Amino acid sequence: MHIDLIFQPGNSAARVALGPNESITAEGGAMIAMSGDMAIETSTKKRGGGGGILAGLKRMLSGESFFLNHFTAGSNGGELFLATTLPGDMMQLDLQGETIIVQSGSFVACSDGIDIDLGWQGFKSLLSGESVFWLKISGHGKVVLSSFGAIYPQEVNGEYIVDSGHIVSFDETLQFKITKPGKSWLNAFLGGEGLVCKFEGQGTVWCQSHNPSSFGWEVGSLLKPRA
Amino acid sequence: MRNDHSEYPYKMQGKPDFSYLTVNIPAGQTLKVEAGSMATMDTNIRMKTKMRGGFSRFLTGESLFINEFSAENGPGEIGIAPGSPGDMDHVYLENDIIYLQSAAFVAATMGVNVESKWQGLMKGFFSGESLFLARCSGVGDLWFNTYGAMMEIEVDGDYVVDTGHIVAFTEGLEYRVGKVGGYKSLFFSGEGLVCKFSGKGRLWLQTRQLGAFANWVYPFRPVKSQGGSDD
Repeated sequence: MHIDLIFQPGNSAARVALGPNESITAEGGAMIAMSGDMAIETSTKKRGGGGGILAGLKRMLSGESFFLNHFTAGSNGGELFLATTLPGDMMQLDLQGETIIVQSGSFVACSDGIDIDLGWQGFKSLLSGESVFWLKISGHGKVVLSSFGAIYPQEVNGEYIVDSGHIVSFDETLQFKITKPGKSWLNAFLGGEGLVCKFEGQGTVWCQSHNPSSFGWEVGSLLKPRA
Repeated sequence: MRNDHSEYPYKMQGKPDFSYLTVNIPAGQTLKVEAGSMATMDTNIRMKTKMRGGFSRFLTGESLFINEFSAENGPGEIGIAPGSPGDMDHVYLENDIIYLQSAAFVAATMGVNVESKWQGLMKGFFSGESLFLARCSGVGDLWFNTYGAMMEIEVDGDYVVDTGHIVAFTEGLEYRVGKVGGYKSLFFSGEGLVCKFSGKGRLWLQTRQLGAFANWVYPFRPVKSQGGSDD
């Protein structure tokens, strides 16, 4: 498998070249074009895992739609193009046994040796304010992630605070807690920062330069109200 | 069809995110330009609106309104900027036929015929895009644009494209609209319906889709408050 990221950073797409019968798993809706003999199979889990359409529907009802498509090339290999809805960059990680936590909207694709745990509840106990959920991704292989705007690493050594809407992914080695950016909760809400994530330990947080929901509310407020 | 030759001198700048086009129209010559996309021009250039495409253009929902810009007292320069930010491409047609998603048309020289072509109700309806394609034929320059970046794919055999990402394709490619995978994939894959191309030809795709972006923004609209005023 070979993955090229093209048209970075504004309207990035990933070109995936697959060998004969090789396969890749991508986020539902990410495929923009592919070879004619590519097979596609849809599920709510990584191939081989349990889970079914019902589990996916349940997630849809709670505003967390997440379906995965498994693409398998034909006997001559094939190509596949993946892209996102929002403008922005993409990155490619090679995992060799590490575990990362990824914001669901940033996941694009991964190779066969990677496990996706959709049930990661790390942030669940707290109201995060963002309508996102998180994926725990581990194993050996390639992972493609996307960002809204630019994507950049923030090395953490000690403590570091990142607004939850700007997180693309982070190393599972980092401890984290959702907290308020200032001294009081009143400040947190009046200051418009909402909730932030405080990381502790040593590792990398991949950040996106723009927060999708901030942009959404900015544009949305200029539109006519929904009836 | 060639990429290395043009009838009028031109340059495309700002690629791939904010492409715009500058064309030098020789004295006495004319350029067809998508209505509303002229940004700048020098004073040698005169515009006239031409009725084109007959009644069908009212149905397309797209302005296949084409304006003609002529260089009258000497050569003239015109700057053309499409409505949405994105990529742009140029081909020189040599009696080739190329079909454009109707919003993709930017400009063409006079030897290029641009007509609306009814896609057929099923193809057009299911593709979720315009019911019409712009059929461009003849000899001359053709410029077209996308929302997002543009990719070019040489197809020999079968190729599958998400319907919303098609920008243009050459004659020689047949297409039909269908589903990917099984019925489970139809409803849950997020891919909806796709275009299955077959044959030999060239295909241009966009990496983003304006409709998908608009749908993404939609839930962020304010909710009308009870008893609030209409606006």
